[in-house]
Formats: sequence, structure tokens, C-alpha cells
Amino acid sequence: MHKRTIKTASVATIILSSMVLASCASAEAGGDGGGDAGGTLIVYTNSNGDGRGEWVTAQAAEAGIDIEIVGLGGADLANRIVAEKNNPVGDVVFGLNNMFFETLKDEEAVTAYEPAWAAEVDQESGDPEDGVFWPLVEQAIVTVYDSNTVTDAPTEMSDLWEDAAYDGRYEVNTALGQATPQLVLAGLLAPYLDEDGDLGVSDEGWVQVEAYFAHGSPAEEGTDLYARITRGDVDFGVLPSSGITARDAEYGTVTGVISPTDGVPYVTEQVAMITGTPRQDAAEEFIDWFGSAETQGAFAAEFASYPVNEEARAEALPEVVELIESLPKQDIDFALTRENIGAWVEKTELEYLP
Amino acid sequence: MRTSSWRTMFRSPLVVIVLVVLVWFVATFLVMPNATLLISTFFPDGRISFRALEKLVSSERALNSLWHSFALAATLAVTVNVVGIFIVLVTDYFQIRGSRVLWLGYATTLIYGGIVLAAGYNFIYGRYGFITNAVRNVFPDIDPNWFSGYFAVVLVMTLATTTNHMLFLGSSLAKIDYQTIEAARNMGASTWRILWRIVLPALRPMIFAVTVLTFLTGLGALTAPLVLGGTDFQTIAPMILTFSKSSGSRDLAALLAIILGLATIVLLAMMNRVEKSGTYFSVAKVATPLQKQRIRNPLANAIVHVVAYVLFVVYALPVLLIVLFSFLEATAISTGTITWDAFTLANYATVFGTPSVLKPFVVSVVYSALASLIVVLGMLFVARVFQKHRNPVTSLLEYLLHIPWILPTILIALALVMTFDRPNPLIGGQVLTGTTVLLLVAYVIIKIPFTLRLLKAAFASVPESLEDAARILGAGPLFTLRTVLVPLVLPTAAAITALNFNSLLDDYDTAVFLYHPLYEPLGLAIRASTEGENNLDAMSITFVYTVLLMIIMGFTMWLVYGRGGAQGRRRGLRRGGRRGSAGPVAAVPVVAVPVAAAAAAPVPPERATPAP
Repeated sequence: MHKRTIKTASVATIILSSMVLASCASAEAGGDGGGDAGGTLIVYTNSNGDGRGEWVTAQAAEAGIDIEIVGLGGADLANRIVAEKNNPVGDVVFGLNNMFFETLKDEEAVTAYEPAWAAEVDQESGDPEDGVFWPLVEQAIVTVYDSNTVTDAPTEMSDLWEDAAYDGRYEVNTALGQATPQLVLAGLLAPYLDEDGDLGVSDEGWVQVEAYFAHGSPAEEGTDLYARITRGDVDFGVLPSSGITARDAEYGTVTGVISPTDGVPYVTEQVAMITGTPRQDAAEEFIDWFGSAETQGAFAAEFASYPVNEEARAEALPEVVELIESLPKQDIDFALTRENIGAWVEKTELEYLP
Repeated sequence: MRTSSWRTMFRSPLVVIVLVVLVWFVATFLVMPNATLLISTFFPDGRISFRALEKLVSSERALNSLWHSFALAATLAVTVNVVGIFIVLVTDYFQIRGSRVLWLGYATTLIYGGIVLAAGYNFIYGRYGFITNAVRNVFPDIDPNWFSGYFAVVLVMTLATTTNHMLFLGSSLAKIDYQTIEAARNMGASTWRILWRIVLPALRPMIFAVTVLTFLTGLGALTAPLVLGGTDFQTIAPMILTFSKSSGSRDLAALLAIILGLATIVLLAMMNRVEKSGTYFSVAKVATPLQKQRIRNPLANAIVHVVAYVLFVVYALPVLLIVLFSFLEATAISTGTITWDAFTLANYATVFGTPSVLKPFVVSVVYSALASLIVVLGMLFVARVFQKHRNPVTSLLEYLLHIPWILPTILIALALVMTFDRPNPLIGGQVLTGTTVLLLVAYVIIKIPFTLRLLKAAFASVPESLEDAARILGAGPLFTLRTVLVPLVLPTAAAITALNFNSLLDDYDTAVFLYHPLYEPLGLAIRASTEGENNLDAMSITFVYTVLLMIIMGFTMWLVYGRGGAQGRRRGLRRGGRRGSAGPVAAVPVVAVPVAAAAAAPVPPERATPAP
């Protein structure tokens, strides 16, 4: 009996410690992605959709840089980089907007590096103070409508919720965890910043937010804005400008854009090196290559983007350039917005969403 | 079975080893990471902060959503039981023509859920759904928005969550003592009287158990209210999701999740109490196989047949539609104008045209299989020890193992990343962040509560006499476990493995923070191919992936239930179901879904209980 118990005990040990063993074994096996200076460059991005990820990977390979794209949604990606900052998995991050990059900078998750093309971009769009992140692509967050069917488009955004004629005719995106709805919120509050107000915003500002959500039609999960416009659910909705071209082609719409006098929120997608990357040389090489006029120009031609790099702009699609240049830029303090957006989202979510 | 003596517990080396490993695992992977995260959340400057509670109480919207979640859970507890018991009776108790086909139709909820299920119903009954259109052609006055709000959410979730009834109640039904039924009939009892006085009372423990499950699914409802709820009926889960992604609001997310988690525990305790006070002796010791009952009243028979087939159509339509839609152009789906020209193979071409499309499938299959095997294997020992030795230590450990039900998956994942990003003495100085193993650990963790509950119940149903016999014959504890006990609980274990496997296949919430860049799992690949501002085919591509997933999950379920034809299924069910038959207390597999986890997941984590 005694012998048997020892035997059973040892068998049990083997089986039960399989988790431990498995963890050690695969930890070693998996370690090859994280530690050494060679190997594939891990590029984090939220801008891999629509075939962009594959395009960048292929073009980088042609330029002699071996990369692996890790594509996640903006908020998820920023969270992941911050959570990993003591033992970073990624080497480079691009595509996130200024707001997310301000967060990453604040958490010291990204490191300063001056790219070879630094002189070709407007520093103001990036991080003029410390040069931690650098601008790549600019987008306007616009309110669109189908000019085939809508003839009474307002000139000011606020008409949508102040004029009863537009009641329920515009889509509001309530998924405030995502980047675009957050920018809409930032744009709504930007004119009403007031140090004495609740969360740095005057009461009037919060009245605007309340009215905006109260008179809108909440976005439908899984249904594209243009599908709703086409079938007459709504007439107006918010979209990043780079999405217009493809939708007009798909839905046969002719998109009109509301251009308020104060301008529309602009976001600039940035690139930066992740702090503590073991592949610093490859990371710098990638940033130099990806932000160059040549690459950005080709990217703009392929994906209808509006590059910040002035030399690359020549390659951008004429209709994109025309649209962007016709829309004035709203004055938004992104550093301040970044500090407050979490609290603003929370307040909106708790008090104002329909 | 009630050996609570400490001495007996520590006398067995097997038990000691199990306990040591378990304590290490619980401390390292469950308590330490989550406690660190929660402490930094609720005690930001070393002092307790009531900020989250104040915010919550002053928000009408949050309280409303919370109330909606509870109302939905309570309603579902009734409606799912009605429909669930009906479909179980129709497929397993009454003589119904084509009951096999009906079973397949009702079983469709096993292989899909989440956004796809909600969207499927919306495409049929929603504002632009074809049923709505057809009805409106005849009666133009009908409100096109009729299928929305509380009613629509309840209806869809009722149909979507009968899975538990099919698996667990169906198996309980199979082992009812048929002799009691025959005796009652000989005494002149009517079909309904037998049903009401004999069959349903015998099923009561299991009905309690699936009611708990249903209630928790309702609490965690995410996508069905998002898609169908409209502005009047939004639940708390989307809010938890938004808040858990913002570092400033994480305390609110945790607080809300903990409120749902506490409701879970209160309900579990209440059900345990109710069950303790009842006795259930109508279950067979020597099973005479249940024979299907004919409904003697022709009118009733006709009505039951009609209702059964109507339900079948309602269940099967969304699945058929999803398969159909996977062959349609995206604009045709979203604008609701389907013509013959709109049929295309382009969606499949897009999916299979993606470079290395197969790799995420392989990665996810490997991860899911490993995780579900490890968790079942580990919990086999743990459940056995818990069930055999009841004392404060084991109950504490048991409660701690339920942590994954109380916290949202996102928080658990973040806690793991932040805890194991430096060498940790508890795991031999390893760093796990950025390795392939951390996701596996997370998958094992989030499947523990479900697995433990069911396995513990399964062990409880094994008659103690068998074990005594083995011991008297000289078998050691491990030998007894391996040759006597495990075979008896194997059907349950296999079913749990399959359910866990299915639910992990398309996981997104856990993987998003934990996956190794070179090993992208399926959930991420699906999201990547459906995201993007210009990606207008997102829904069609989701449908294609859903169809592919249905094939894999269908195959898994066939491996467990289907091999050897319908007989195998019945045998499997019956044996698996024996877990409910031993004592009144332990007999009930008190099952629950991870409330918080389900709340945070776009696709429900428990395939057994899809929370659409």
C-alpha cells in the first residue's frame, strides 16, 4: 500500500504539474519573438484594415525590412502597449491618432527618434515639444450626407440638434470607447472649455453634448452609416474623410460634407518607436522608410489618404486633396483633450447617451 | 462523502499534491494579478475611493441599464424554462414525428451566437427584415419597428439560450425511472398529470441549475440589446465594456461587474438552499429506459406538433439565412434588396484569398484544444478533492476559483499582462508577457468555473458504493480515480471539453491583449478582416467566418454526441446526465455562466449559453 501511494503520488505530480511544465517549455519556445535584436520587426497598428496591413508588409519586404503587422483597434492597441511597457512586445507603432499617442508618451511607452524625413513634415501636427511621435497621415472627421437626396444641409453642425427639421435625421455613434466618437465629443466640447466648469467644460458645453445625443439616431451595431443613408433611415452621419471615396463607389452616393466656419476636427495618424525595443536599428530603419515621401506617396495613391509629408502630397488623389483643403481645421487642444477625454467619455456615457 | 476531517484529507498524498498545486495556481494566476489590479483601482492613493459608487448612484442611465439587465435576467429565467422544457419534452419525451430533425433545428444555438445570431434575427424580423416586409405588403399599417426593445431582446435571447436545457435537462430526463411513469399510467393518470406530478418534479434540480445559468446569461447580455434593444432597452454590459477600456473609468467597470457577480453568488446560494430543503427520490437506481409517450388527445397532439414545427422554423431560419447571406454581396444585405445577381462567391474568395488564412484557424484550434484539455484534466482532480473533502480550506479555494465569473475578461487579461511583465518568483523567475504561454494561461483561467461546477456535480452523482468496493478490493486512490471514477464522468468531461473548445475558438476579448504577434488567433483575424473604414463587406465576411466556425463546432459536437449515430447521443446524454441523480444537494450541477465575462464579450464566452 505504501509503495502504491508513492507511485500514485508521483503520477499525480507529473499530471498536475503539466501546466507548470507546459508553461516553462512554451515560454522558452515563445521567447524568440521578444528578446533578441534580430528577427522580425513587430509593427503595431490600428491602420491595417482594407488591405493596408498586407500592403505595408509587402512593400517593406521589398525595401528589405522584415515586418509582422499586429493590427488591433485604436483603444485596444493603446491599452495593450501601455500594459506591456515593462516588457514590450512590439517595436514600432503607427496609425494611432494624436490623442492616443499623447497617452503613450505620458506613460513613457514610446521613445523619441528623429526620422530622416523630419524636415518634410509640419512639426505642429506631431509632437513639436519632444519629437516623440511623428505625423504621417491627416484625416478630417466630417459630417456627411448624400447630396443626391439631401438638399437642406445645414452650414453649422449645431443646426442638426438645434433645428427641429433635423430631429432624428443624423446618426450619433454611441460606442464612446472608439476613436472617432471620442473625436466627435472632443470637437463638440472644444469651444466650451472653461476651467471653472465641470471637468473643465462650461455648462453650455454639456448642454450641447446632451442635445447632440438626444436628437440623434443611435448607430446600429453592424450596419454601415451609408447603408442607413441609402435606405433613408438617416440623412447625416460622421465619418473619417478617408472613408468617403470607397463608399461613394459602393453605394452610388455623391457625398456632401458639412463645412462649419469653426472647422472640423482633424486627426493626425502618427508613428513612433516603442520604448525598450531590442530591435532599435530595424525600428529606425522602418520609420525612416515608412514616413518617406516615396512610401507615403505610394500609400496615399493606393488608399486615398492625405499625407502630412508635403512631398508625398503630390501623389495623393486630387479629390482627396481638394476635400481636405476645402475644410478648415478646428482648433482642438489635443494635450488638454487627452488629459480629459476619459472623464468626458465617462460623464457622457453615464449621463447623456440615449 | 462528508468526510470533513482534516486528518483524512492530509493523509492522502494525492490530495496533498492536488492542494499544493492548486494553492500555487490560485495564488499566482487568480489572486495576485486581480488583487493588484483591483487594489490600484479602488485604492488609488492608498485610501479607499468611493468615486465609482457615487458616480454610479448619481447616473440615471447606469441605474436604468442595470435595472434592465436584471429585468431581462428575471424574464429569461421564466421564458427560457418554458421554451426549453417544451423543446426537451418534444425531442425526448413525447412521440413527435421527425423529432430527430427537430432536435437538429433546436441544436443550432449550439454552434453560433453573439452578434451573428442577433443580426440573423434582425434580418428576418427587424425593420428591413423580409418577414416584416412581407407582412407590411398585406397590412401596411403595421409599425416596421415592431421587432425592437424589451420584447425583441427577450424573444431572441429566449430562443438563443435554450442550449443548456437541451444538453443538461435532456440528459436528466433520460434517466427518469420509467417504471414510475408506467405505474402512474396504469393507475389512470392522464398524460398531463404524469408530466406535472412525476416528470417535472423529477427534473426540478436540473431546472434550478439551468435557471441559474439562464439568469446569469441575461445579466451579461451584450449584443442582443445592442442590436435589437433600441434606445428604450439598453443593458449594462456595453457600459462595462467601454469603461473597462479606459484606465480612468476602470473602477466603474469593476464595480458594475462586481455587482453582477454578487448577484450571481446570491442566486447560487439561494438555489443551493432551496435544493437542500427538497428531496428527489423519483430518479431510477436501476434504469428502465424511458419510452417516448404518445399524446393521446388528438387535438393536443396536433397543437404540440404545430408548435414544435413552428419553433423549428423560427430556430432554423436565422442559420439558413446566415449561410445564404455568406454568398451575397454586402450591399444587397444591408439595403435589403436581394436579387439573383447579388449571389457571389466573392466573400469566400476574400476570406480564402487572404494570405495565410489557415494559420489563425490552426492557432486557435491548438490553443482552444490545449486549454480545454488542461482545464478539464486539472479540474478532474480538483473537483474530486472538493467533493470528497469539505472544509473551510477547500470551500475558500472553491470560491477563489470563481473569480473569473466575477470580473470582466478584459480586466483579467490586463491584470495578467501587468503582473507577469517582470520575472516572477512564483513561476520560477519567468517573464510571461509577450510569450505564447500567457494566452493559454488566460484561456485555462476563464474556463475554470464552468468546468469545475459541472465536473463537481458529475462526481457527486457517482455512487459511493462503487468507490468503497474499489477500495475494499485494494485499489489505490489514483487507480480508483482512473479506472472507476473517470470513466463514469467521462461523458460529462467530454461534453465540457467540447463546449469550452467551441467557445474559445473565436475569442477576442482575452486574446487582444495577450496574443503573441506571430501567432494570431482566429478572433483577431476575423476582427481584422471585418474592420477598416472602407471595408464595406464586413458583415458578409463575418458570415463567412461564422459558417466556417459552424462547421468546426458542428464537427466538435459530432465528435462528442454524434458518433455512432443517434444511439450514441442518447447513451452519452444519459450517462452524462447521471450526474444529477445522487443526492439532493450535490446532485445539482449548479452551473452558471461567467456573468462579467459574458458581459465583456462581443461573442459570448460560453458556447453552451450564447448571450446574444
